[in-house]
Amino acid sequence: MIRRRVVLAGAAAAALSGCSPDVLGLSRSVRVAVSWSGPELRAFHRVLDGLGKLDYPVEVIPLGDDISTAFGERSARRPDLVMLPQPGLVPPRRGDLEAMPSDLADRGRARLWDELLTHDGTTYGLPFKTAHKSAVWYRPSVFREAQVQPPTQWDEWLELNKALSLRGIRPLALGAGDGWVLTDFLENVLLGTAPSAYRALAVSDDPRPSRVPEFAAALRRLATMWAMPGALAGGVERSLTQQFPDAVVEVFGHRRAAMVTASDFAEPVIRSFAADPDDVGLFTFPAFGPGAAAPVVVGGDVMVLQRPATDDAWDLLHRLATPAAPAPWIASGGFLVDGRTTGYSPELTRLADQLAAPGTSLQFDLSDRLGELGGIDGLWRVLTDLLVRVGTRGPDVVPEAVESALDELGTVEG
Amino acid sequence: MGLRSNGLSLEIAGRPVSGRPVTGRPQRPAGPYLLGIPALLLTSLLLVPIVITVVAAFRLPDGSFGFSNFAVMGDPAALHAVRNSVAWVAVAIALVVVGFLLAVVSYRLPGLSSFLQPALVIPFAVSVLVSGATFRLIFDSAPERGTVTAVWSSLFGTSPVWLGPGLFWLVLVSAFGWTWLGYVVSLFRAGLDAIPDDVSRTIAAEGLTGLRRWRALELPLLRPITGVITLTLVVAAVRVFDLVLIVVPGPMQHDADVLGLNWWRATTTGDDSGRTAALGVVLFAIVAAVAVIGVRGLRRRRWAMPVSVVPADSTLRRPKPSKRVRRIGWTAGFAVSLFWILPAVVLVATALHSPREAGLRGWWSLDGLGLSSFDAAASIGLLRSLLSTVLISSVATVVLLVVAVPTAYLVAWGGLPTSLGRVVTSVFVVLAVTPVQMYAAPLRDAIDAAGLTGSRIALGLVHAAAGLPFAVLLLRSAFASAPPMLVAEALQGPARQSAVLATVQRTYRPAVIAVAVLEFVLVWNDFIVGFLISGAGTTPLSLVLWGEARQFSASSGTVAAAAVVASVVPAVLMLTFWRTVVRGLTIGSRP
Repeated sequence: MIRRRVVLAGAAAAALSGCSPDVLGLSRSVRVAVSWSGPELRAFHRVLDGLGKLDYPVEVIPLGDDISTAFGERSARRPDLVMLPQPGLVPPRRGDLEAMPSDLADRGRARLWDELLTHDGTTYGLPFKTAHKSAVWYRPSVFREAQVQPPTQWDEWLELNKALSLRGIRPLALGAGDGWVLTDFLENVLLGTAPSAYRALAVSDDPRPSRVPEFAAALRRLATMWAMPGALAGGVERSLTQQFPDAVVEVFGHRRAAMVTASDFAEPVIRSFAADPDDVGLFTFPAFGPGAAAPVVVGGDVMVLQRPATDDAWDLLHRLATPAAPAPWIASGGFLVDGRTTGYSPELTRLADQLAAPGTSLQFDLSDRLGELGGIDGLWRVLTDLLVRVGTRGPDVVPEAVESALDELGTVEG
Repeated sequence: MGLRSNGLSLEIAGRPVSGRPVTGRPQRPAGPYLLGIPALLLTSLLLVPIVITVVAAFRLPDGSFGFSNFAVMGDPAALHAVRNSVAWVAVAIALVVVGFLLAVVSYRLPGLSSFLQPALVIPFAVSVLVSGATFRLIFDSAPERGTVTAVWSSLFGTSPVWLGPGLFWLVLVSAFGWTWLGYVVSLFRAGLDAIPDDVSRTIAAEGLTGLRRWRALELPLLRPITGVITLTLVVAAVRVFDLVLIVVPGPMQHDADVLGLNWWRATTTGDDSGRTAALGVVLFAIVAAVAVIGVRGLRRRRWAMPVSVVPADSTLRRPKPSKRVRRIGWTAGFAVSLFWILPAVVLVATALHSPREAGLRGWWSLDGLGLSSFDAAASIGLLRSLLSTVLISSVATVVLLVVAVPTAYLVAWGGLPTSLGRVVTSVFVVLAVTPVQMYAAPLRDAIDAAGLTGSRIALGLVHAAAGLPFAVLLLRSAFASAPPMLVAEALQGPARQSAVLATVQRTYRPAVIAVAVLEFVLVWNDFIVGFLISGAGTTPLSLVLWGEARQFSASSGTVAAAAVVASVVPAVLMLTFWRTVVRGLTIGSRP
């Protein structure tokens, strides 16, 4: 059956586009740069398919972690529309971006986004996808077996890890192959322990985290958790080769670990690889002391249009901005819309509620706001090196490793 | 002065000679020069951007000229990348040595090659991205998925993390070696087979054996072939770029950085263009230095001895080896072939699992067999990109043939003055090894300015230009190896040019087919040229593969399916034409 479908699709595609201008590359297609791949990329293709008949071809360019290359030199070859996972890149690039028209601009002015996307009353981007980056997925059966509960405080989490370790269960699978997994972890600790320091760094014109004592304290807490012997499934080296879906598979597919920190968008990966679909649980990052608010780090992809945009690119932006556009992706899971709390799976509904709830300590992803400093050559690398230095080696190595990390960060800050 | 004999008298009148003697000049008609014009136009697609890059490398921000852009080499990251690139060149040269030894073994053990040939050809046909993806599958760190990890941990309890720090080099070099070893062995083997038996006998009669025999016979006779092989491998080694992107997990990519990658990141993060140009020049200098040493043989106008028209008397051929030697060769060949074909088996078997099973378990698992991974690959635009790739490859191949054949004829037999011929050949040798980084940036700007952004036709032209130098060198040596009698007769006849071209068609078909097949396959498998010059959107097939491989293990089923689909056409082409390709690649280097 499948073979036939593939063949038929191939024949249809050949007939439709055999000599059409877009295969020749002559007609001007709308080029959309995205950082997604795998199931997310396929879901986005479904979103595009759901937009109805378009008068122009759409070319999706997956750039992964190198998405900032979408803003190369100014030339016609640049992607028209960029689904930017690092809205922190918007302020420095404003000069190259189209201003959003008034009928759309309101969405860019929603809370959290306006700081990044709006300048002097003009909006330069629209949120497409929101991400809850403080989620921890776990296997309830393991927790039951070890007679433990999901933690509500950071210290409980450390105790929980110890309890699981004692029973021979590796507590954490860490997808350190994706740098953002590590920065998200750190951001949650920093936001939970020192929200005002977090905020100050996020809005600073010249952020120098290496000189912020609260930042150093957060690094120490984080390093202490990673340093616990037996904390990481597969040890440091395996963690370094694992991307976040691999870590998910370690927990839910091969059942070699109990928990994985992964955002809401891990949901479809969990669903497709879980050995037991009913053995999936979720908690969010615990608070860091009695009375303290639990941290909620928010990320997302914003749509920006590179200037000058063609009419076709504007048309695509308008279509993608309609509330119904992401429906196919929402249906396949792992997609949150800013401000919307219904229509998701039970787990994602919980996350959406937390995003919408008043009084939570909600902040936009710090590394995404730090620009280059938060990226591959900056914080990602610093945290990777920290992980290598402390991973499962016990608390004694932590102070020195944190010092080295701060030095390294200082060098990147220049 | 007079001469008288038998009643006949002859008188010879002398005349004083004035002025100094003048040597005769052969007549050089201008007609053949016209043959070079298309090549000149196409090559300018490379030459002009290269000049612009070189100028940019020496131009300082204030407009003056100097060396300070090269201070970029003081940057530890760039220095690290240079070291890695040099290491890659060393890997390439080591591979040439290993390939040569294997070829000698297979020459001494006939029977080996009949099995080995297809097993060695398939890796050469698939793209770097595909072989990188395959080796990443094989070395995956989860024992449920990775073949090597599974075998190792069942033997020794635990397994090192093959893709982890330090060890990822093993994976990279394995993938590179798997791709290229077949090419090296096949070419050396063809060269060894072409050594005339009477020469071998003479050497043997003189009592030269072992290493002395190699030094006296095989090494000098194989020098031209060694030149071709070294040239291709060094270019490939310096082009290593997509291999690192697809094999090395994110946190180790810094360690694995090569100059090409470093350059790419620098241009895309808006580094100063003078500094990136300087990086390109350094990269080029490394390759050029190695290539010039490696291909000295190519500059000689003639490598060839006359091709014997009459087959040698079979009683005078190499004596047939004993039955035992043949049996050993047969068994060894079979075993090595199985081992060598294994990565391809892994790839196809992974593709035949559902995305879920491929992400959970290795290729040997019996669960989830089916074609759903192909279905998933089709849903991300694989078929449309197949069509684009067919178009680009065809345009590039046709343009290349139309331009390269007359040019090669001109260089070989067109009567260019010796010095000009030497210059032209040297220029082509240099262009053949020029890394794409040397011309990518200016070419990209020019294509943008011409409003041809995203045009597949423009990309096809660029590919043809990039392939031209190697094609001309190859065809030239094939032409130069023509039986001189044939050429001399053709040159004296009334319709001489067309007659010579007719002999081209008859005698040099293998070289032409080799150029066509190689160009089509190289363009089909290309990632770097299209990616750097036309941006991400125009490198269709490899880009789909790359995009899918960003979350590697979870997508391994789809990655493998896309890789299989992408490899069918080049693999079939190569398997069909391999004998001709090898003949074409070595025809000019008959000793």
